[in-house]
Amino acid sequence: MTTLTNSNPNDNYLNHTKGIRSWLFTVDHKRIGIMYLVCVLLAFLLGGIFAMMLRFQLLTPEGTFMTQDQYNQAFTMHGAIMVFLVIIPAIPAALGNFVLPIMLGAKDVAFPKLNLFSWYLWIFGLVFFLIALGTGGLDTGWTFYTPYSIDKASSMGGVIPALIGAFILGFSSIFTGMNFIVTIHRLRPKGMTWFKMPLFLWGTYGTAIIQVLATPVVGITLLLLIVERSVGIGIFDPAMGGDPVLYQHFFWFYSHPAVYIMILPAMGIVSELISVHSHRHIFGYKFIAYSSIAIAMFGFLVWGHHMFTSGQSQLMNIIFSLITFSVSIPSAVKVFNWLATLYKGSISLNTPMLYALSFIFIFTIGGLTGLYCATLATDIHLHDSYFIVAHFHYVMMGSALIGFLGGIHHWWPKMTGKMYNENWGRISAVLVFVGFNVTFFTQFMMGSKGMPRRYATYDMLPNKDLFQVYHIWSTAGSVILAIGFVICAIYLIQSVFSGKKAPANPWGGRSLEWQCASPPPWDNFAEQPEVGDCYDYSVLEWNEEEQGYDWKKDAVHPGE
Amino acid sequence: MFSILTSLLATIATTTQGAPANFWLPKQASTVAQSVDHTFFVITWICYVFFFGITAALIFFMIKYRRKGHDVVQGPTHNTALELTWTIIPLLLSIAIFVVGMRGYLNLQQAPEGSYEVQVTGQKWAWTFEHPTYGATQVAELTVPVNTPVRLLMTSNDVLHSVWIPDFRVKMDVIPGRYTSLWFEATAVGEYTLNCTEYCGKDHSKMIATVRVLPAEEFEPTMVKLASEYEDMTVGQLPAYAINRLYNRCQSCHSLDGSENTGPSFLGLWDRAKSGDVAFTSGEKLSDLLGEATTYEVPENYIRASILDPQKHIVQGYLGSMPSFQGQLKDKQITAMIEMFKHLSELTDEKGNITVNPDGTPRQ
Repeated sequence: MTTLTNSNPNDNYLNHTKGIRSWLFTVDHKRIGIMYLVCVLLAFLLGGIFAMMLRFQLLTPEGTFMTQDQYNQAFTMHGAIMVFLVIIPAIPAALGNFVLPIMLGAKDVAFPKLNLFSWYLWIFGLVFFLIALGTGGLDTGWTFYTPYSIDKASSMGGVIPALIGAFILGFSSIFTGMNFIVTIHRLRPKGMTWFKMPLFLWGTYGTAIIQVLATPVVGITLLLLIVERSVGIGIFDPAMGGDPVLYQHFFWFYSHPAVYIMILPAMGIVSELISVHSHRHIFGYKFIAYSSIAIAMFGFLVWGHHMFTSGQSQLMNIIFSLITFSVSIPSAVKVFNWLATLYKGSISLNTPMLYALSFIFIFTIGGLTGLYCATLATDIHLHDSYFIVAHFHYVMMGSALIGFLGGIHHWWPKMTGKMYNENWGRISAVLVFVGFNVTFFTQFMMGSKGMPRRYATYDMLPNKDLFQVYHIWSTAGSVILAIGFVICAIYLIQSVFSGKKAPANPWGGRSLEWQCASPPPWDNFAEQPEVGDCYDYSVLEWNEEEQGYDWKKDAVHPGE
Repeated sequence: MFSILTSLLATIATTTQGAPANFWLPKQASTVAQSVDHTFFVITWICYVFFFGITAALIFFMIKYRRKGHDVVQGPTHNTALELTWTIIPLLLSIAIFVVGMRGYLNLQQAPEGSYEVQVTGQKWAWTFEHPTYGATQVAELTVPVNTPVRLLMTSNDVLHSVWIPDFRVKMDVIPGRYTSLWFEATAVGEYTLNCTEYCGKDHSKMIATVRVLPAEEFEPTMVKLASEYEDMTVGQLPAYAINRLYNRCQSCHSLDGSENTGPSFLGLWDRAKSGDVAFTSGEKLSDLLGEATTYEVPENYIRASILDPQKHIVQGYLGSMPSFQGQLKDKQITAMIEMFKHLSELTDEKGNITVNPDGTPRQ
């Protein structure tokens, strides 16, 4: 399988050059991807610590260990870190950077220096969030709703640094998106037409479009908010004739599509995982590809469903409700196509596949509960309750992040050249699945029963005893989840040092990244590879000696 | 086509009016709750079908097609008819759900003619309810008649808030600089919770009011009494009135047990005011301002100024985030507050719990 790699088999992107400077000033997409991966995972740890603080605070109705102000900061930092620093960059910037050019048989992305610049912007964004924590804290919620966020007597002092951080992260995201759009348009290899691209590329392409079109809007909005808070220009401040609801429109015009920035590449990963690990040609390629683009497009037209109780007009509510349902169709289509791909497959229940199957289960619940939120009569009751909290965690965490984890496990042998411990991988995947559902399914029940979100205490609610039972279950689930993540971190780190050497193609994948060595050489491919059908596994066979897959001797190579 | 579909859905998910709490939803206590819950269960049944169908297929495939050896399989790569089917069926169902939800929503929105009107003001972190019909004001408590449509006309004095009464299935944001409204018709006498559900800062989770639904014949006398009860009171009766009827407007910032909060505790406040032992952020001390021919001839005037013009003197160690109560409190109510400070120890126990009823009788 190493036919397309260059001459020296021991030279790879990890050891081609040495020293910290060779990483910090690299323009190699693989190294940038790894740097993103490490940073995003560290940010995930930070956001996760805040999440555990929230869960333990809510064990008792009076709150166990934080004051109201501390709790408000904790949920704000949890949300802001997880959204801006983790989930949005996770798949495109970390996995996408590594995989996308190799999938295209290219040597790098179209603009390698811009790519490195995006990473530095991410770091600056993080620094500004830490400054926000250090300069009075941040308690606005990750949504920065006005007029709370512009009222210095109400909100804490870290608002402006946090806004600057989010603004900078926006540019990081825009540059990554631009890079991927141009790379996919210009650097596809001979023979790879649009409908021969791996579906992960369709997912990242849809995401990149949203990143480039929607992120500037939130950038301008955040700038306006900075000016409003510091000088007072009266665009959002009702005391000066401004409109606080206008801010919500601007904010959700980006932040709803941002949900699809998170979920589309995860769907792309799942499409790859389901096909590769069942050795079965993806079912309904075109429907899946078109549905990615449909979701990206419809995603721009539905922001108003965050505002059904905001005082916007009835007619707007009705229109936004109707359009919102349109997103459910391509989402459902994808689930059915994945199921059909499993039909008559050869399903390997390995770690990446367990994450992919978890994704289908969790995304089904996340998608179906979206129906309650799109429907006007029920959303009025459920809005801003724990039902919403549960719904978006099913989509953003249970789907997007679990897709990310599946992708990490799928491409880990490629990225590090090492195999992780499969048994611990499966145990951890099951713990994450169980822990996640216990944590968040209980939140649906307490939300529809009347538990409002962003409550540091719930001792004044009549249902507090019932809610406490749910909160205890939820916290217990979060502990299981945390154990799953810790195990995952341990065996992944352990594999880097003492894992078995990975073959070029451990799973029997057919897309181009499996045709170069693990880890890939510095320049990926000595010459541009030819491509065939990236979901046709009939040309591969198991090679016991390599513990990986190889071309069948009599199989016809594409282009021959 | 859709009417057939929606009526079919209606039959599999009927609930009766005033149903008690179930696995998913709290009890129903308003006229719209039934239709909201009906929509909720229409969606729930659709969800059950899809969820169990998809999960069953997933598990079945996982077991049946589990990998044996390293074989490579070939199966169908697409089937346009099948894929169109599973595109069109969800599309039709979605539109049906939308129609059901929109109808329910329109019911939620249109208050009947001649609804009983209440003006609601949200301010960190308490709700104020004014009854124009009776000239009565309530704080953290809203009394309404049963089986009567009630319309809340709402605005905020500071940041966004939102009114949610889960048992009534109604919710609407409360926004500074404009009015929003919601309506409900309570179907059962009792007490219900009204939450703030739009994050509004430190004590967001304590911005909770009680909706007290009274029998129609009790409502009017209660409101008449509420509107004027303090007017006929003697000074000796005022402290018990103030701590029950007025203090809930203060409680989110001022404790009764000495604990630290957004504003100074009311415990010992009168002693501090009397002795002048209060330092301000401006560097002045209250003792310099008290006495003959100074700003405040008697300490009562300092307290009155603190309520009506709280930004005038800000006590050291606090941000001065208190709003003015000018126009919100009548003179006699300010007197009641001052009397409350003087007699605080008779009104509360050592933990700061209120021990008297509004009429001065001991609280059980």
